[in-house]
Amino acid sequence: MKHLKRNLRGALIALLGLFLLLTGYFYYNLFLYSDRWFSDPNNTRVRVDMVNPEIIPGSIMDRNQTILVETKTKSERNNDVVYYRDYHKNSKYAAHVVGSKQYGIGAEVLYIRYLLGYDNNLFERIYQKAFLDQEQGNNVILTIDIRLQKFISNAMGNEKGSIVLMNPKTGEILAMVSKPSFDPSDKGEELEEESLFNKAAFGQYTPGSIMKVVTAAAALESVEGIHDYVIDCKGSTEVNGVIVNCYGEEAHGEVNLSRAMEVSCNAYFAQVSLDVGWNQLKKTGEAFGFNKDFLFSDLKTSKSQLPITSQTDAEELAWSGVGQGRVLVTPIHMAMIASTIANGGAIPEPRLIYGIQTRTGKVRMHNSNNLNSPISPETAQALSNMMVGVVENGTGFRAQSTGMLTAGKTGTAEVGSGKQPHAWFIGFAPAEKPTLAVSVVLENAGTGGRNAAPLAGKILREAASLGY
Amino acid sequence: MNDKQYEILALTLRYWFVLLIVYVFVKSTARTFRDIFSDQPVKRSTGNIPFVLVLFTLTAFGLLAMQGSQAFNVDTALLGVLASAIVLFQFYLLYYLFPGIDEILLLIINTLAILGFIMLQRLTPELALRQVQWFAVGCAVLFGTLLIMPRINSLKRFSSPLMILGPAVLFFVAFFGGESGGATSKLSFGSISVQPSEFVKVIFIMILADSLKEVKTFREKIPLFLFAAASILGVVLQKDLGSALHYFIVFLFVYQISTNDWLITTVASGAGVLAAVAGYKIFPHVQVRVEAWKNPWADIGGKGWQVAQSLMAMGSGGLVGMGLGLGTPYVIPASRTDFIFAAICEEFGILAGGIVIGFYVLVLIRSMYKANLAQSPYDMLLACGSAISLAVQAFIIIGGVVKMIPLTGITLPFISYGGSSMVTSFALLGLILSVSIKNERLVKATDGYEYLDENQDSEQEGFEDEENREQELDDGGEMKSLYRDGRIR
Repeated sequence: MKHLKRNLRGALIALLGLFLLLTGYFYYNLFLYSDRWFSDPNNTRVRVDMVNPEIIPGSIMDRNQTILVETKTKSERNNDVVYYRDYHKNSKYAAHVVGSKQYGIGAEVLYIRYLLGYDNNLFERIYQKAFLDQEQGNNVILTIDIRLQKFISNAMGNEKGSIVLMNPKTGEILAMVSKPSFDPSDKGEELEEESLFNKAAFGQYTPGSIMKVVTAAAALESVEGIHDYVIDCKGSTEVNGVIVNCYGEEAHGEVNLSRAMEVSCNAYFAQVSLDVGWNQLKKTGEAFGFNKDFLFSDLKTSKSQLPITSQTDAEELAWSGVGQGRVLVTPIHMAMIASTIANGGAIPEPRLIYGIQTRTGKVRMHNSNNLNSPISPETAQALSNMMVGVVENGTGFRAQSTGMLTAGKTGTAEVGSGKQPHAWFIGFAPAEKPTLAVSVVLENAGTGGRNAAPLAGKILREAASLGY
Repeated sequence: MNDKQYEILALTLRYWFVLLIVYVFVKSTARTFRDIFSDQPVKRSTGNIPFVLVLFTLTAFGLLAMQGSQAFNVDTALLGVLASAIVLFQFYLLYYLFPGIDEILLLIINTLAILGFIMLQRLTPELALRQVQWFAVGCAVLFGTLLIMPRINSLKRFSSPLMILGPAVLFFVAFFGGESGGATSKLSFGSISVQPSEFVKVIFIMILADSLKEVKTFREKIPLFLFAAASILGVVLQKDLGSALHYFIVFLFVYQISTNDWLITTVASGAGVLAAVAGYKIFPHVQVRVEAWKNPWADIGGKGWQVAQSLMAMGSGGLVGMGLGLGTPYVIPASRTDFIFAAICEEFGILAGGIVIGFYVLVLIRSMYKANLAQSPYDMLLACGSAISLAVQAFIIIGGVVKMIPLTGITLPFISYGGSSMVTSFALLGLILSVSIKNERLVKATDGYEYLDENQDSEQEGFEDEENREQELDDGGEMKSLYRDGRIR
């Protein structure tokens, strides 16, 4: 019977282990996802009635408390009070951020917990039920500035693409524009699927040369003496048996790391990514947030993809380091990478909620925090210097018009023959003490230097003139 | 009472409910640790738990009685009183009639059942009364089991007929049963429909314990293998994959505990995995389940609907829940049976949800402890088989509801609505408590713990080989003679 008892103990331990896993999974998942599950558009628990609602949803405002959406009374008949969500005229400049109840996107559904006051404490909830005629939700103050949203929307014109402007220290998103857009106040209008799609957070683009920032970071972190490493670019260079063309087959001659960054030399970075190796490139990329399911508290995003493994061949690895191949990024993620360099190596968590304004007018501020630090402050400084070079005497010179010392990197992402490339620009300003980070992508618009950089310059100047 | 007043009351009482559940949990956990780790026998006590349970039941039903704009709903309140009365009657009757009974185990089971009553009253008031009736039937079955089973030390000549009866019933149901929820697992008699695969669980565990109580050669074990395979096949043919998985895991555990035969256990597990893969390839409804498990949000209007609803319910609950009567757990599909765990998490909160998992763990630990004290291999296997059955069943369904494993529709023991499940779970509890009673009687008959000490001494000599195992069985024979002499009653 002794071995029976021993086996009994073994079985008990195995089962306890299973239950421990179950409990762990249960709480871990709820901790990470419960807010998302709660605010899912399919969750009927938070559906807002517009006739005699139990709780009137609060307003959505920008950071200067300009109201973008509020709840208004439409009519009172037969003791029924009918409310409606009034989308103010300028809300169309921030359509994807503010979102729409009708289409189940944006702050209107994502922040329903706050808009309906479910985040209030017990005393406030009971007070409202007991003493107020009508319960009210809270107002959500967003981090965006509607003036910047409007400026960027107009500056983009009819170009398709997306622009994200954020504060690199705090992660506050000052503007997030995606085109084509829609007007939330327009009901019943036939909309294309594309205009509802928030490209800033969900659009997955080939990055092109802006990826070189990540490749350079990997090299700076792992290869000694990379600064003095020089190769001879002939426009079409053979790198370990792989033919690498630079844009327009332009020969850059002998280039070192910072010069290669300035002229955006593909051959150099193809060589560097092969020297760095798939392991280090993937490690740095993943530290920057590639292949990672971001679970930000304020917004949902798609995953950026860096699909390299030990099986990846030299050609694909070389092109991955140059931002072609199967690498895909989201505009907001690129804004985060620019912010990381501006922020001394730490990734700020992007935020859209500035604070929550309660019934009494008090604002509960939301705190900012950094996610992780993929690179050391020294690496960040080195990258920053190189990116200043890109704008001062490289491909990004058209972004000089900011009136500040600006750091940046252009990108021209090839998206198949017969199509114009995507124009990219990421950068930050002022370079000595950054307060603004920007990521611009214009679909099929041409080269990053010619098309994206001047736009980024204009936006940075406008934001600086508004005091950011 | 108007809606707002009810809401205020329910919002406040959330904390009260959580407090009471935490009290029961902490108290029974502490008792369990004392029982297992203390050198002295722990004095029998109920630790105020019956009182707390009645308080819990009455508050919850009282609150629900105030729901709605009409006056105080007396029927609801009376059902609460009735439920409390039945629980108290059952508990104290068994407590005083059977001194060897594990009172904490019984109280934990009652807590789970009460949670079920409350959720059902909240979801479908008509079913709550039926559930209390089923609970009463379950208690009667428990009482019967406790009268009979402590007198039985093996199945003897009933073994073979039962081995044929079990699979035969399952096959009969597979071909002639009524369909519900995609499975043909039910038989209807007038207004009552029963699920025989539940009852066969009891037979399954008794046969396992009886066949594995002594060392056998492979050839001698073939009837058992055939029986187990036939039972599982019968359930698979009913398309009740959750129960099939349940039978299979219980078999593996009990077989491994008894024989320590890693070869067969590994081969059987491998075969099980292969069968699962083959099932995935062959049956479209299995593929649907797996896809819904991988990403329920991908097809939220169709395949993923059930699991996504369950997740949204749990995500809405928060730590202390939305408040009894303030959520909408009725939008979760099968919220009365398979998904009742999600409904509990929504209205009582995920803290209470975690404690429900904890209660099943305590049931497992306490039962295994009783099995460990058992004096014969048959008793030991019976108790641990029943305990494993209850725990694994809870694991499979809760795991499915929280999206840890693919969902397979089985009931949550003692909580889910359903007579077959309730009666079977109580029968299994009866088997565990019978072993507990036997242990106690033996202790009494041998003047306290002398017999146990003797037994421990002889154990130290080592029981690794078969010869000693037989000697051990002789000890069991000696016990039988004790019974014959009337020293143990």
